[in-house]
Amino acid sequence: MVLKIFFPTCCNTADSGLLIGRWIPGQDSAVVLAVIHYPFIPGQVKKYLSETQNQSQVDLAVLGSWSLPKDGQEGMDSFLKDLSTIFPNSRWLQLSREIGKRGFACQVVHNRITPPDPAQGGTDKKDQIIFIHYDQRKVMLSQLHPIHEESPGEESSELRAVFHTVAQSGPLFLLDRYDEGPLKLTHWQSEGREASIVVELSKQASVPLCIVLTWLVLLSFQLFLYVVCCRILNIWPVQFISSKMSTCVQTAYRTNHFQTVFSTKKATSHMEFMRKANIFVSFLVDMSLGLLLVSWLYRENHISQLANTLVPVADHVAKELQELLEWLMGAPAGLKMNRALDQVLGRFFLYHIHLWISYIRLMSPFIEMILWYVGLSACLGLTFALSVLSDIVALLTFHIYCFYVYGARLYCLKVYGLSSLWRLFCGKKWNVLRQRVDSCSYDLDQLFIGTLLFTILLFLLPTTALYYLVFTLLRLVVVMFQGVIHLAIDLINSFPLFAMGLRLCRSYRLAEGVKFRVLCEEPGTPLHLMMEINPLKCSSVLQRYRTPTYSCYPRDSWVDLCKKLFMGELIYPWKHKTTKTD
Amino acid sequence: MAEKNEFTDINGKAILLDCQNYSSFCREFTVSSPKVSLCKVIVCTCSVWLFAYAVFFVTENTAVLSSAIIITLVGMMMHIHLVKVEHETLLIIGSLGVQLSTSYASGRESTTFIEMSRIKDIVINEAVYMQSIIYYLCILIKDSGDPNGIASVVPLFQSSKPRLNCLVQVYKSCQAIIAQTR
Amino acid sequence: MGQKKRSGRVHPPTCPSETQPPAAARTLDPPNSSKARGFGREERARHRICMVSDFFYPNMGGVESHIYQLSQCLIEKGHKVVIATHAYGNRRGIRYLTNGLKVYYLPLQVMYNQSTTTTCIHSLPLLRCVFVRERVTVVHAHSSFSAMAHDALFHAKTMGLNTVFTDHSLFGFADLSSVLTNKLLTVSLCDTNHIVCVSYTSKENTVLRAALNPDIVSVIPNAVDPTDFTPDPSRRDNSKITIVVVSRLVYRKGIDLLGGIIPELCTKHHDLYFLIGGEGPKRIVLEEVREKYQLHDRVRLLGALDHKDVRDVLVQGHIFLNTSLTEAFCMAIVEGASCGLQVVSTRVGGIPEVLPDELVTLCEPTVSSLCAGLETVIARQRSGKVPPPADIHSKVRTLYTWRNVAERTEKVYDLACRQPVLPLPARLQRLQSHCGAFAGFIFSFLAVIDFLFLFFLQWLHPDHLIDVAVDASGPHSCWGPSFKKKAKDSNRAWPPGADTRHC
Repeated sequence: MVLKIFFPTCCNTADSGLLIGRWIPGQDSAVVLAVIHYPFIPGQVKKYLSETQNQSQVDLAVLGSWSLPKDGQEGMDSFLKDLSTIFPNSRWLQLSREIGKRGFACQVVHNRITPPDPAQGGTDKKDQIIFIHYDQRKVMLSQLHPIHEESPGEESSELRAVFHTVAQSGPLFLLDRYDEGPLKLTHWQSEGREASIVVELSKQASVPLCIVLTWLVLLSFQLFLYVVCCRILNIWPVQFISSKMSTCVQTAYRTNHFQTVFSTKKATSHMEFMRKANIFVSFLVDMSLGLLLVSWLYRENHISQLANTLVPVADHVAKELQELLEWLMGAPAGLKMNRALDQVLGRFFLYHIHLWISYIRLMSPFIEMILWYVGLSACLGLTFALSVLSDIVALLTFHIYCFYVYGARLYCLKVYGLSSLWRLFCGKKWNVLRQRVDSCSYDLDQLFIGTLLFTILLFLLPTTALYYLVFTLLRLVVVMFQGVIHLAIDLINSFPLFAMGLRLCRSYRLAEGVKFRVLCEEPGTPLHLMMEINPLKCSSVLQRYRTPTYSCYPRDSWVDLCKKLFMGELIYPWKHKTTKTD
Repeated sequence: MAEKNEFTDINGKAILLDCQNYSSFCREFTVSSPKVSLCKVIVCTCSVWLFAYAVFFVTENTAVLSSAIIITLVGMMMHIHLVKVEHETLLIIGSLGVQLSTSYASGRESTTFIEMSRIKDIVINEAVYMQSIIYYLCILIKDSGDPNGIASVVPLFQSSKPRLNCLVQVYKSCQAIIAQTR
Repeated sequence: MGQKKRSGRVHPPTCPSETQPPAAARTLDPPNSSKARGFGREERARHRICMVSDFFYPNMGGVESHIYQLSQCLIEKGHKVVIATHAYGNRRGIRYLTNGLKVYYLPLQVMYNQSTTTTCIHSLPLLRCVFVRERVTVVHAHSSFSAMAHDALFHAKTMGLNTVFTDHSLFGFADLSSVLTNKLLTVSLCDTNHIVCVSYTSKENTVLRAALNPDIVSVIPNAVDPTDFTPDPSRRDNSKITIVVVSRLVYRKGIDLLGGIIPELCTKHHDLYFLIGGEGPKRIVLEEVREKYQLHDRVRLLGALDHKDVRDVLVQGHIFLNTSLTEAFCMAIVEGASCGLQVVSTRVGGIPEVLPDELVTLCEPTVSSLCAGLETVIARQRSGKVPPPADIHSKVRTLYTWRNVAERTEKVYDLACRQPVLPLPARLQRLQSHCGAFAGFIFSFLAVIDFLFLFFLQWLHPDHLIDVAVDASGPHSCWGPSFKKKAKDSNRAWPPGADTRHC
């Protein structure tokens, strides 16, 4: 068997004393947590250990003895051996370090007081020992990934157990903070005690401050929420429209986050804490970006400039559309269309454009004022400004959307008619009850009418298809523009800034695993390894700590999208038809 | 306690297997590929620059030359940082685990440590790679749900791809350590 | 030597080693096989065989089980066998089956009906790698539908390996697709060392289609494992008469005929039940018939069946019906007869050769003829003048066994190995003289390209850089008995390193 001893680097130069730590159950390994120095009273040590054990839920034990002989302290060896009888344990480690050498010597004494486990039968066989040095502070603070929150007690993994043990034994490191107790210990806190006191004090002070702030924010917020969410949003048409407006969706998302961040409950698990921190940081960044935007907008009359460009652009788009329609009503790209249908469709759409242009003319005096008020929403964050922009674009291109819907409906009707008439052609029919194609014998009249209709539909199809194609392309351009805006919003909303910063500045906090380095190999001493923390990769930080957002881009795949477009089904955002009945 | 052996990889290039014996249950295998050859770099750079110069001669646009220089520099940096692997190391520590590390020519190192409790076995397996069929060494990871199942396979020496005789040598010493400490 | 290895091995085709030559192939395979037998007695050559076909497990069918069973028997005889096929979905890479049968699932693009695309060139690197690392001596391609098999033959000839081809299917001569396939077959087989057909009809068909010399075509029938198909009369319900149909529900299997038969017979006999196993595009025909005549209680559609469930279905019936429109060698009727059923079948292709006349009732492939045939059998069944199932089983049991097939295939390999592989100039000449001017020219050109490509590959990746694979079967097999247990629990990742220790 190979015995593994996890040894903190800060205890390397500690004075002689007792080793305190834990035997990892099920594994052949021990974690050394601290060294208790001479002089001590065994009864006090036992009492102290049981106290700490109650606080930290880690079964601590005295593992053995540690000796670093300094000049004038030579005759300790026999005393150290005797200690093993005071602290009964199945195994007693005797670590000793000589001044000149880098490695330790280790001796394992198997006590016969407790019957040895049958698993470790060969006590006479020389045990092989690995020393694994670890940086106690880093291991204590780091979080091993992937995270298993549910069962910290029964880890199958040895490293996980070591990390858990070190992280849980915080009370052991904290107890001798201010006053000198009866025992003197060496661990990572003993190196930089003053700094940690400052940290503790500031922590204590910040708690009431945070509570006061939270209450203030929450009170005002809760009132607003109550009015908005419960009263207005639950009326049917408002709810329906608000689910389609990205500003409303963003508001709901932000309020939701506000509630999580400012909830008075303490974040218990690591993931919850990280989530809160990420939301908070991204919120701050969003706000500051929004304020930057506001300061730019309201300086030097940018608003009126914007308004002055916006109206002509909308006008221009309408003009272009009109020209496009006129082109379609002739012989577009040399195609010969069905003249009558072409004219009807073209006039219909032209009338719409006329309506639209008069609407824009009516609106144009008020646009600057609207923009001025809307620009204020950027105070709430850049994401708000962007969602408002997306909504404005949607409103200004409403005519394109209408055209698309008309074209798609017509086209869809034709495609379905053609497909069912084609089945009639083949002597088949769609069986609605069984959801399959059955063979069926038709009358002569039915066949005649069916064929006639089929021919008419087939010859009218190109005209409709052309209109459908053109307006679908226009619609897709608009959707793509909105998609880009939504992607930007999503990026700001979901980017885990806090986790990323942690990864960059304190890379040991998020550990993917560990890596080992062989320290020294002097013949005769056991193997010494240095355990370092392997930081999580940036890509996995992103993947793991990404805040889940409402996804605004279409969820169906590209193939599905193409199929839908081909069949003339409506795409984003009006898609509530789930089951297709033919 | 280190021994060095010359082997070839699957394309016939010489690689060096360096076995470092720290103790009876801790061993380190390093497979090092040949270094970036200066000759190759010079040839690549020169060809890109000559091409750029030819384009420049035709178009008389200086942006071509500067972009060629930037492209070569960035390309070289990307190559040594992301592609070119200097050596791959397999550190096997009995009863603790196996550590795989890959160091790139730029000095970047990526390391993974797999605990012994997760390892089912280390085996030599066959796989279809590009347009040929090769042997490779891999670690079988236990499935936590089912004790006989295999959750995943971690291939070793992925970029140097040694041939079978080299793999067998590494395999034998790995098996010896696993058998000794299990 | 080969026989010794049989001891202590669990093996699918466990049949008596003493077998009589079946009715279908009573005559000798090739004219000079006696010489081969003499040669085999003294010192039998051990071959390293690579079976190539697009069709293999997890796909199910006649070709697939033929390849598997034949390979198992050849391994038992001490040869080394590997199988190359294309990747089936997630099943790609290298797998091991029972007794160290190694299967290469190569990543080649599937085009249609599980058949790979063919350019005659692009599969060369992978197949060459397989041939070189397994040190293959004989390449055995299966099924003329398989593009990969044709490719493998083409490359094997380029690399100078001996080739054997087994044809499993019959073809017409009239329509466009068969004209094209026949041309391809002509090209592919004109310089193949030996060809195996599964029945005499199939031999005749192949010889005509590929314009071959009949001397290099042998007939080795398929076989069934009689231990898997034993009768069990207690499972039958004797108060009614059950007709069993087990086949894929496709056009070639005559499902439209079946759709005509069912209503006609069901109106006449009220105690007649149909049990139909299988799945396919023609299932809708049967469902419509069932609904139209309201026969839901009398026609049961079982859907796709696993191979192991087939016997359980067969033993529930009295009569086995096969309505195939074309068939080279019908395994289904042998399975049916082996389960002790009365067999009614269409008289097409190689079916008349398969079973002796007293075991099968043959009809023309029309609804009326099949109905008449079924009527007589039903009448016989009613009057009780049918032989008991056990008798039928004992008759069929000895007819077709895999060991016999393997022995005869072995002889074919011996023969093929002694024939020379044509060098490139002779091959080009053969192609041009044999396949017509146009096709001959195209394929000579392809052969030259293939040859040059092989040269290029040998320069790019020389043979000595390809690691020779560890043998899992054959004379130097490392597949020891201690090893078997380990391999059984996972055929996914077999640790071949473990047996490099033995070597």
